[in-house]
Amino acid sequence: MKTGIKIALSVALITSFSFASEQFSMSDADRAMYAEMSENNPADIMVADGEEMLDDMGGDEAFAKYLGVSEDDLPAYIAGFPRYIKKFDMVVGLDQVMQAMMYDRGEKPFKLKSKKMFSLLAYVKSIANGEKINIDINANPQMKAAYALGEKTFMTKRGGRGLACNSCHSSDVVGRVLRTQPLPDLGAKGAKSAATWPAYRMTKSSLRTMQRRFQGCMKNALLAVIPIGSKEMVSLEVYLTQKAKGSEISIPGLKR
Amino acid sequence: MQERKSLIKIKPKRYKDGEIVKVSFMVMHPMATGMGKDKKTKKIIPAKYINSVKFVYNGKEITNMTVWESLSVNPVFTTYMKINGKGKLTVTYTDNTGEVHEKTKKIKPRG
Amino acid sequence: MQRRDFFKKLGVVTAVAAVAPAMSFAADAKPAGPNKMSYETALNAITGGKTPKKSSKVKLKVPEIAENGAVVPVTVTVDSPMTPDNYVKAIHILNGKNSNARCIDVNLTPANGKAMFSTRIKLGGTQNVTAVVELSNGDFLIASQSVKVTIGGCG
Repeated sequence: MKTGIKIALSVALITSFSFASEQFSMSDADRAMYAEMSENNPADIMVADGEEMLDDMGGDEAFAKYLGVSEDDLPAYIAGFPRYIKKFDMVVGLDQVMQAMMYDRGEKPFKLKSKKMFSLLAYVKSIANGEKINIDINANPQMKAAYALGEKTFMTKRGGRGLACNSCHSSDVVGRVLRTQPLPDLGAKGAKSAATWPAYRMTKSSLRTMQRRFQGCMKNALLAVIPIGSKEMVSLEVYLTQKAKGSEISIPGLKR
Repeated sequence: MQERKSLIKIKPKRYKDGEIVKVSFMVMHPMATGMGKDKKTKKIIPAKYINSVKFVYNGKEITNMTVWESLSVNPVFTTYMKINGKGKLTVTYTDNTGEVHEKTKKIKPRG
Repeated sequence: MQRRDFFKKLGVVTAVAAVAPAMSFAADAKPAGPNKMSYETALNAITGGKTPKKSSKVKLKVPEIAENGAVVPVTVTVDSPMTPDNYVKAIHILNGKNSNARCIDVNLTPANGKAMFSTRIKLGGTQNVTAVVELSNGDFLIASQSVKVTIGGCG
């Protein structure tokens, strides 16, 4: 697409943002109602499902053993993902670890983009509920590289509209409203989103993971959708998890 | 018959006899209105929604509901219940296609 | 401020031109659902023609602005002793504009201890949500609130 048209479209999109007006902003009272709904999050059932799935594999105990940590240390260890795991020589998310564990047990691993894996991932991450995210991007050269790639992916403009994640989710445009939704500053230090995914998405009536959400967003922004578990996706997760470092994990989340 | 996943939650988790507790029943159910279209096939998805729910505590029906298709997918039904002795709470629902589902939770008051 | 108004205007236009909503029943020209019933008909069926009274004893809790129409939290609480001679017999929840105005009819007994019912409903657009309460003495109480449903967002 010609650069001129690309820029024009970008500008048209950016100028279509409005400032969050009373018309579209939910009140604190409204938000409190949604927070209350988390008490009976439909995804609780999927998390219970995930627990059953892990139980079939030996439960928390077997998982801790597979990771090489004590059961006591398991929650804090989970709160540090994605991690570079020597065994795989890769920076991986918890879902990829689950795949490896299933494979080693002689079972057919769940596909990364499957309801079963989403439920299993939600349960596994929920083991760390209450823990503060403690990802360490300086742990080794692989984590450093993953963070750098994640930042690059977040900032790279691509697709028909020449948009990067940063085009809509940066401090310059945060608070503005796009299609009636106030935009969160996902790239900011302290942006907590990584602590509350996997989450129940109300408009989809299903449990979704963070990478799956990225895919939905990319599709809407006319960007080529990156596969779940790919180097770029895991790196994006590393980047955003680092932003949420210190936030308390609370799974399952509840999102629009 | 579809095996549905459901949960009965009681809040607080520990309660005494005579206490009034909050009880919720949650289930994974499509609650299809019969007006929605399948995105891929473009065909109308037939109505399939829970149409009645009963709460039975130690053999006595304490609450019953007539439910319509306007309830959200994966619905939740929350009300209060007075604890009146050890036993069990059974929640049963039927849907418009004749599906029946039952879930039971033990009631164990302390003191 | 002029510039702000300009952006605001554009924002509204963009909102209206938003991509087709995820909830297909929210759009126009819908096939009638299996239980089509208007609010007025539903209300009459419940009260048998009796006029329900507005009462501060009925607390209807719904968001003023619902973030999405698929999952709108609703809680109805009624101040009642819930004794066998004075209790809430039923809580009915109605909507204003869905094809079927009835959401749920909950029949309570003194064994409930307190009169409250909470659930989540689907709203096909901005409309009123109404709670109609039936007391054991035959009286009907009512409470209503408008819920603005926004259809938008990315994905």
